[in-house]
Amino acid sequence: MQCPESLRVQAYFDDEVDSVTAAGIEQHMEHCAECRALLQDLEQLRAAMQQELPYLRAPAALRARLSRALDQERAAESSLGLRWPRWRWPVQSFWVGSFSGGFATAAVAILAFVIWAPRFANPLADDLVGAHLRSLMPDHLIDVVSTDKHTVKPWFAGHTDVSPVVADFEPQGYRLIGGRADYLDHQRAAVVVYQHGPHVINVFSWADSQRALPANATRNGYHLIFWKSGDLEYCAVSDTAPDELLGLVHLLQGLSTPDARDSKN
Amino acid sequence: MPHLDAAYRFARWLARSPDDADDLVQEAILRAFRGFDALRGSDMKAWLLTIVRNCHFTALKQEQRRGLVPLPEEHDAQDGHALIASTPDPESESIQRDEQHTLESLISGLPDVHREVLILREIEDMDYRDIAAVTNVPLGTVMSRLARARSALKKQWLRHNDGVPRAVP
Repeated sequence: MQCPESLRVQAYFDDEVDSVTAAGIEQHMEHCAECRALLQDLEQLRAAMQQELPYLRAPAALRARLSRALDQERAAESSLGLRWPRWRWPVQSFWVGSFSGGFATAAVAILAFVIWAPRFANPLADDLVGAHLRSLMPDHLIDVVSTDKHTVKPWFAGHTDVSPVVADFEPQGYRLIGGRADYLDHQRAAVVVYQHGPHVINVFSWADSQRALPANATRNGYHLIFWKSGDLEYCAVSDTAPDELLGLVHLLQGLSTPDARDSKN
Repeated sequence: MPHLDAAYRFARWLARSPDDADDLVQEAILRAFRGFDALRGSDMKAWLLTIVRNCHFTALKQEQRRGLVPLPEEHDAQDGHALIASTPDPESESIQRDEQHTLESLISGLPDVHREVLILREIEDMDYRDIAAVTNVPLGTVMSRLARARSALKKQWLRHNDGVPRAVP
């Protein structure tokens, strides 16, 4: 049978694990001949694919055809007097700039990127997405497995610095599946894990830093919604649709106000 | 033109012919240009490849609606290989070309969902989360599909390399 560590060995090979996990996997491979062989296979296959498959580039004829098509597109657009909604503008001008090579449009494209760049530079959001992705690795998702908030909530008291709202929203489609401790922004954060359809939602919480929260964001298909409640800051992360994620956030926000009621249950 | 080559390579693996791939790339670039699909996340390559993939499926659906059921693809490369493999060619260049065709046809023979994650990982060098974004599946699914694709390809590749079918555990 296949070694249960094989997916982790693959993730190690693909450079998808942090250094601590990598060390663990290397240690495992010392004892597991099957995983050593797997690593060798993965290396050979990659070498074969990279050496032996033709590295295709878009043919010149296609490039010329695309330039013509985009010229037509721009002509049609200006004759109709169309105006692009503001939020589309940076992306569109990037393409115009890169295709025409004209100085003016290229300058606009660069400017658009300069304006946009700070919105992408958000280390906390990067950390959160990183933590979310790590949690999806085998065996990383949950430290305490429970669908009962009375099990999950006390567990946090012993393992993290915060005590977040914990509740099960199974009837609404958000099933509580457990909790986890994570290290975030220089402190131990509590993570409540929900399942929504096929998607995992991690709800991170940490002590209020007294700073402004980052804006809600989307990174590589993962949505992040931030909010503050009581003396905690929260962030929900998932690849589920933004409005689905917002549904859970609203449920949690609705609960956190009368927190006293929770202790009576 | 950023990532046009990547879009073209991906289109070639998705489409049935080079001409179809050209059409697919044009459709995708125009969609990207028109801004129908908002740039999600910060990775433009993943965004463009997502559009290429969506355009491919849209075109497939339209064909099915029109009742144009595509004929099963003839694998010329594979046939060629079978001939050459029985009489080894002394010229190393054509052996290499032959191996390309073999590996290429083995990859072409993988199920679509396995082939695309493999190509995105090994040829486009994308990380798991970008592959998950392009193929619109959870990260865990990317990992398991990648593992299956690699294991299937390895078994078939071994058989071809050794010239004789070999039992693989």
